[in-house]
Amino acid sequence: MKGLIDLRRLGQYAAAAAAAVTLNFLLPRLMPGNPLVLIAGVDVGLLTPEQRAEIIARVGLDAPLWQQYLRYWADIFTGDFGYSFRASRPIVDMIRDRLPWTLLITGLSLAISAVAGVILGAVSAWRRGSKTDLGMLSGMIALEALPPFWLGMLFISIVSVQWGLLPSFGAVTPASGLVGWEHIEDILRHAVLPVATLSILSVPGVYLTMRYSMLETLGEDYIRTARAKGAGEGRVLFGHVARNAISPVITVLAIRLGFAFGGTVIIETVFSYPGLGRLVFEAVSGRDYPVMQAAFLVFTVAVLAANLAADLLYPLVDPRARTS
Amino acid sequence: MKSTVHARKALILAAFALVMAACGGDGAETTTTRAATTTAAQSADTAPAAEEAAPEGGAETTVAASEPEPAPPPAEPVTVRAAITGDEGTLNPYTYISGFPGWNLLMLQYDSLLQLDAAGRPQPWLAESVTVNDELTEYSVKLVEDVRWHDGQFLTADDVAFTVDYFINNTQSRFARDLRGVAEVVITDPFNLTFVLEAPNPGFDLVALADVPIIPRHIWEPVTNPEEHQFESAANIGSGPYKLVDYDEGQSYRFEANWDYFRGTPAVDELVVVVFADDAGALSAIRSGGVDVIFERISPEQITLLDAQDPLDISQGPEFSTQMINFDASRRPFDDVVVRQAIDLAMDREDIVDTVYLGAATPGSPGWVHPGHPSYNPEVLAVYDPNLANSLLDQAGYTDADGDGIREFDGQPMSFEIIANSSDSLRLRIAELTVEMLAEIGIEGRVAAVETATWENAVWPGFDVNNGRNYEIAMWGWSAPVQANTLRVPSLIHSSPGIGSLNLTGFANAQVDSLSEELLVEPDPARRLELLSQLQELIAADLPFVLLAYPDGAYVYDSSVYADWEFIAGQGIVSKLSLLPSSARP
Repeated sequence: MKGLIDLRRLGQYAAAAAAAVTLNFLLPRLMPGNPLVLIAGVDVGLLTPEQRAEIIARVGLDAPLWQQYLRYWADIFTGDFGYSFRASRPIVDMIRDRLPWTLLITGLSLAISAVAGVILGAVSAWRRGSKTDLGMLSGMIALEALPPFWLGMLFISIVSVQWGLLPSFGAVTPASGLVGWEHIEDILRHAVLPVATLSILSVPGVYLTMRYSMLETLGEDYIRTARAKGAGEGRVLFGHVARNAISPVITVLAIRLGFAFGGTVIIETVFSYPGLGRLVFEAVSGRDYPVMQAAFLVFTVAVLAANLAADLLYPLVDPRARTS
Repeated sequence: MKSTVHARKALILAAFALVMAACGGDGAETTTTRAATTTAAQSADTAPAAEEAAPEGGAETTVAASEPEPAPPPAEPVTVRAAITGDEGTLNPYTYISGFPGWNLLMLQYDSLLQLDAAGRPQPWLAESVTVNDELTEYSVKLVEDVRWHDGQFLTADDVAFTVDYFINNTQSRFARDLRGVAEVVITDPFNLTFVLEAPNPGFDLVALADVPIIPRHIWEPVTNPEEHQFESAANIGSGPYKLVDYDEGQSYRFEANWDYFRGTPAVDELVVVVFADDAGALSAIRSGGVDVIFERISPEQITLLDAQDPLDISQGPEFSTQMINFDASRRPFDDVVVRQAIDLAMDREDIVDTVYLGAATPGSPGWVHPGHPSYNPEVLAVYDPNLANSLLDQAGYTDADGDGIREFDGQPMSFEIIANSSDSLRLRIAELTVEMLAEIGIEGRVAAVETATWENAVWPGFDVNNGRNYEIAMWGWSAPVQANTLRVPSLIHSSPGIGSLNLTGFANAQVDSLSEELLVEPDPARRLELLSQLQELIAADLPFVLLAYPDGAYVYDSSVYADWEFIAGQGIVSKLSLLPSSARP
């Protein structure tokens, strides 16, 4: 084994990162529309041409595109992305405030859907063709087709409005002054509905991958061997089949982990959850270029890192993937 | 702790009653000007209220005085939780985001020299009186004495002069525009000062004095880059009835009442403003009791639905925002007034109000000004007559030569794209109705629903009318401030971009231009009203745009928590007036 990663692979990652950074810079500027209203406020029409020019110069939008581009690269290496046009706050602070909330709900739901998806997928494949398998399979396909906002609003109208059981919005009770355990409990109560919605929606993907991978594995000779040795059902299922079938699931999960940093615009909007997805959505609507650039960079890095992690993990889980 | 606070409140109430009584005396003595009369009226209004406050406060004061340790039974503090949709930044004059409700939340912490009353007229506030010279070039302000900033320092003429300089020199706020044309501010003594203007400005009281928040010199003087300056604490030091005590970006704000407020102790002790992502979230929250009021207009179909639910109630009133049809009047065939008139005649405004707004709107006046506005010309009426529209088009030669049901102009079919922003569902429905109504007169419309920034960029490229226009027909609307101040009318219709900075339709009419220019400098209010009347007639005849409706504002609140919301005509319920006791409202 020549080390975990070779130079060519590293070059590929660097090229992908550079391309993504360039796109991150260009996409906001290729969109029609103008951030001026965001910077100058609603009565932008009352500005004199001089005031307009001054505002544009102040945020550096008067510089030639290539200079703005170099500036962005410099920002990446210094980690200082400047100020949001909209909120007049340092962007690094805004992302730092939002990211933990996004990671909390996406991370929890990823964990839940991974465990549930793997177990259900394994059971379903194990009993392939049975009523349990068919029921689960059609149930999962139906779930996958649910629109996320609809499921979220359904939860809100039943659990929050009708039953009054759980809060329908936010990450904490505003201005509650709760501390310690009560604060943690408050956070968890607020996370229940978003996490439930996200988990329900992402179980089917994991389940289906696991089930198909299992079905393939079940046909392998070594499973027959294991059975012939007289290994118990449980031992065969989890010790032999599931273990070998799990590699594709890991790839799926790693990629999802990368995307988890992007937050989930729809779920965060439905539950008014203060995550990164909503920040990006607001930035895109208002053409807040610096926030878009910085947030897209976070996504880029996260997705590339998750891919890298999958590349590194794969040989550990599946010895067949180890190169000689 | 609570009890001492309440005892203090009582003392302040009593003191306030005394001060108001004193003011009444002063007001009666001063005479001469319009503004002085307002002061007198103001004190007459507040005097009985002060008496009301006295017995209640008096009783508590006695208890507090004789027995300082144990206290009167404290009233349950009132906390109101309000929903907004979208974060509003740190809410200082350089960081608040939207004109509504951002500016309104800003003004809970700050005061302006004048304050709008429920009818939308400027009344004395930080200014005890404002007098104007006959040329409308000097506005002299007498400040209320003993007003304190949240940190305890006194607010003086020096702060006001500093505010003006600061906003003019740091142009990144809307207040720099409000104060354009101020040549200098002359301080006579700590509580008297005069704004000297470069040119007569009849609207200075409404545009500047009732809009600009006065900021404390001792806080802002060292701040060189106000937009990016990060203050150490969330509290923006103002003089207003509320202090911002906590801010969680994207989540919530917490305001605490300023017990020492010079116009009266606020009726709501704590205001928590919760940031939602959209109105659907805010609506489910008020239905589940998660918030007590929504600081955004609710849509017409929600009004009866929410009103039927106990304990929710609706506060509804006229607002000055507009829904209109814009066309590019500089290009064929909209450069022909006959085509514009035909479109105007084809619009069934009552149908739009009934179908789209379920009655919660006022049909548009073709002369632009809302019928509820003091300068409305009642002789300007909307006419719905598609037959007349058809015969006008026939006579002008816009006929349907090829028999496909669509008229032609210059050999092309009269078929146009109607651009609208997809985020506004009511506007989209109006666009669809417009298509049907235009079909009645042989004009084909095709609705193009696009994302907001794209739509803005087509109608108003770069927010600068010098850049021209990229649309044929557009559904458009202005926010309330554009109409509230009738001196903005010239900006909508004047042909030169310098004055007509909001003339998005490329409209040009020499008579309109000259009347507009006259209006902007006319010192006599009666003559201004006359000019505005004439302009309304001209607008209705020559049609720079077609005004369809003025949507009402409707706000939902939980009346079991707090019900005393004040609807300011044209502005809605989000203002300090709503949170002050009625005795303190102008």
